Amino acid sequence: MPLIDIRGLRYRYAGAADDALCDIDLAVEQGEFVAVVGANGSGKSTLARLLGGLARPAGAARAEVCGHDLCSDDGHLDVRRDVGVLFQNPDNQLVGATVEEDLAFGLENLALPSPEIARRVDEMLARFDLEPLRTREPHLLSGGQRQRTALAGVLAVPRRVLVLDEPTAMLDPAGRDEVLAAVRREADRGLTVVLVTQEMDEVLLADRVVALAGGRAVFEGPPAALFAERELLHELSLGLPPAAEVGLALMERGALAELTLTLDDLVAALQAGTP
Amino acid sequence: MRRRGAAVTELEPEGARPLSVCCEGVSFRYDEGATTIAALRGVDLTFAPGASVALLGPTGSGKSTLLQLLRGLLVPDEGRVLLDGLAAGEGDVEERRRRMGLVFQMPEMQLFAATCRDDVAFGPRQLGWSDGAVDEAATSALAAVGLPADRFGARHPYSLSGGEQRRLALAGVLAMRPGLLLLDEPFVSLDPASRRDLEAILRDLRTGGMGLVLATHDVDRAYALCESRVVLDEGVVVDAGPWRFGAGGEDVLLAHRLKPPFVVELWRRLGRGAAEAPPQLTAAAEALA
Amino acid sequence: MAGRGGVAVAVGGDGTCPGGGAAMRMAIAQYYARPSPIHRLDPRCKVVAVTALVVGLFLRSSFAALAVYGLAAAAGLLLSGVPLGWVARGLRPVVWLLVLTFVVQLVFAPGPAFYSLGPLHLSMRGLAIAGYLSLRLVVLVVASLLLTLTTPPIALTDALAWLSRPLRRLRVPTEELALMVTIALRFIPTLMQEIDTIMKAQRARGASFSRGGPLRRARALVPVLVPLFVLSFRRADELALAMEARCYLPGAPRTRLHPLQAHRRDAVVLVAVAALVVLAELI
Repeated sequence: MPLIDIRGLRYRYAGAADDALCDIDLAVEQGEFVAVVGANGSGKSTLARLLGGLARPAGAARAEVCGHDLCSDDGHLDVRRDVGVLFQNPDNQLVGATVEEDLAFGLENLALPSPEIARRVDEMLARFDLEPLRTREPHLLSGGQRQRTALAGVLAVPRRVLVLDEPTAMLDPAGRDEVLAAVRREADRGLTVVLVTQEMDEVLLADRVVALAGGRAVFEGPPAALFAERELLHELSLGLPPAAEVGLALMERGALAELTLTLDDLVAALQAGTP
Repeated sequence: MRRRGAAVTELEPEGARPLSVCCEGVSFRYDEGATTIAALRGVDLTFAPGASVALLGPTGSGKSTLLQLLRGLLVPDEGRVLLDGLAAGEGDVEERRRRMGLVFQMPEMQLFAATCRDDVAFGPRQLGWSDGAVDEAATSALAAVGLPADRFGARHPYSLSGGEQRRLALAGVLAMRPGLLLLDEPFVSLDPASRRDLEAILRDLRTGGMGLVLATHDVDRAYALCESRVVLDEGVVVDAGPWRFGAGGEDVLLAHRLKPPFVVELWRRLGRGAAEAPPQLTAAAEALA
Repeated sequence: MAGRGGVAVAVGGDGTCPGGGAAMRMAIAQYYARPSPIHRLDPRCKVVAVTALVVGLFLRSSFAALAVYGLAAAAGLLLSGVPLGWVARGLRPVVWLLVLTFVVQLVFAPGPAFYSLGPLHLSMRGLAIAGYLSLRLVVLVVASLLLTLTTPPIALTDALAWLSRPLRRLRVPTEELALMVTIALRFIPTLMQEIDTIMKAQRARGASFSRGGPLRRARALVPVLVPLFVLSFRRADELALAMEARCYLPGAPRTRLHPLQAHRRDAVVLVAVAALVVLAELI
């Protein structure tokens, strides 16, 4: 039984002329790492919120996440316990006056006993390398530290699925590395991850990628297969690493057969092609 | 590279005159609670008229502070900033200041007017220009950023997408006809397509003769847009001058946690001589094809 | 109450004043962290004690009572070990009120005068009243400083939430209000930084906030206030979503990481304060 089992999902914002999401199928097994890509307005953020039970689908043939029915009154509230969502703006997720207060927030909401909360907070501080920042106030943290704190706060409540909505979009390169490393560590520990992103190098972290355009799924498969679809890549306006940009330009001129994603790949391909 | 909107309108040379900026022994400190943070220490720099300079360095190295000092929004604790050789309070230094446009990080937060045109016109109005001049400035600035006035002029700024808002904020600064544009991390928090659009706009401005000081983490875009670079680390200028490659050049970047530009690395790996690497990725592809 | 290592909640921003580098410091709910007997008291006890002190001050208008309360407040401050500089800084906002009170009472109080100038006359009685009212104001401020300097804001809101629990019977959402206050306090430094940045950005576009009369200056604030409001509304939206994603439900019971724990010493303090009030009444 897939952890996320969705068929024919539909969503429309109040007062909108068109569906934000239409006829979406998504099946994610336990432990999988799935990336969701798409241009602005493709519906990927909407999908993230629906998966987290933060909005109710307009309709679906089936919409089950961790055994909860997203379409039902209770289901979409219950699913919030099992699915954690990390958003783009690190600052607008931190409620606590200090790092440890913020980590405790989710646990407090579940009315867990105080010693249990303290134990989990200590665990998260250690796991996300936040111990030195235990009593630091949010406005004194760097972007990467804030997002790591937000991530730790989301995962302080044990989750079965982690959904991330463009978590590094507002971070500098150092912050991006910090957060992605933390996400990768959690995925390695067996967490099921759905990463919504526009950056190609983040897509590479995933086992599988789903591409959305205009609210519909237009591709599903391994990242390598997506990168073979040049037309689609243009449409999706992904952020390409330089090696890929040069690679794509060369492919357009017929000078390269396969898309390269790293400097090493590109160099190797070019040197191989030299007669 | 895609280019949205109308063709670039060359900003009037009148008013958009280049100027030289010079820092002599500039230091600046912040007080944060009980501690004092030295944001900049002993900075000596010269920006020639019309030059394009990238300001590189990790977050917290003092890039934003330096830009604000150049523009005169902050006063140095030590040293001085000279504009065309004039120090603060001397001659018509205020007029020189007005010729520098500063685009802050996340500049969308400065948008406040009811229409895009009104917001862009704010700067020129504050400068006391005539209605006709204000109108003209607003129209050409909107065109320069790919948000032509006939389509976007009457729209509410907050009805624009994130990338469009950023370009609108840039237009607000361009409308004052700066001769030198200071940009603080203009590519951060922007979707990939908008980043590409913005880079194209800046390139067009460069072609038109606009001086540029670009504070950024994006070394590749810095290399593509700027002829020289200043490396800042913990408030100290570690290196300043045209891009240098080969022995010693990249080491400076690496020593301060910066990666050399991709094309430079690529050229070196292909045995083509790092100094020959063209600034833009498309040109690189051309050369390789 | 479990001791918490704290950082002083003094807010800094970068300076825009000439002379450079000067911090625009605004002290909101100033807290000075130190291990001291006063700091260790349950915040609820401190709130009740200070309230009793304040009420007692107004119950009885005599120098003797004032002396009792004044000494109690001073003793509390000494025990807390908070530097006097911080106390002085807390008194600064009321200096003008103090001076005004003193002068007005001195000059307008009825009584046999030893010096007259038209409608104004100085009398011993006036001097006494002026002195009393000013001193009382000082003791009032010192007593409340005792509370805010030794109690972290979040503990304070917890205490007030607990103490106002009876209001829940009147459908007042005390828990939710307490959380709102905590979140508002947490974002004050962020807001200050944003105001500073927006003002600088508009100044870079030629705006001036120090030119012209009050009306002109008020209008000049529009380019700062509009973006600030927009930012804040967007923040509220995103924050609410993030809170829901972390299982927050208004009205649902919540526990705390650092729950309030009363000890014997809190009861002792409350008894002592009660005795103090009685003493002040009887003197």
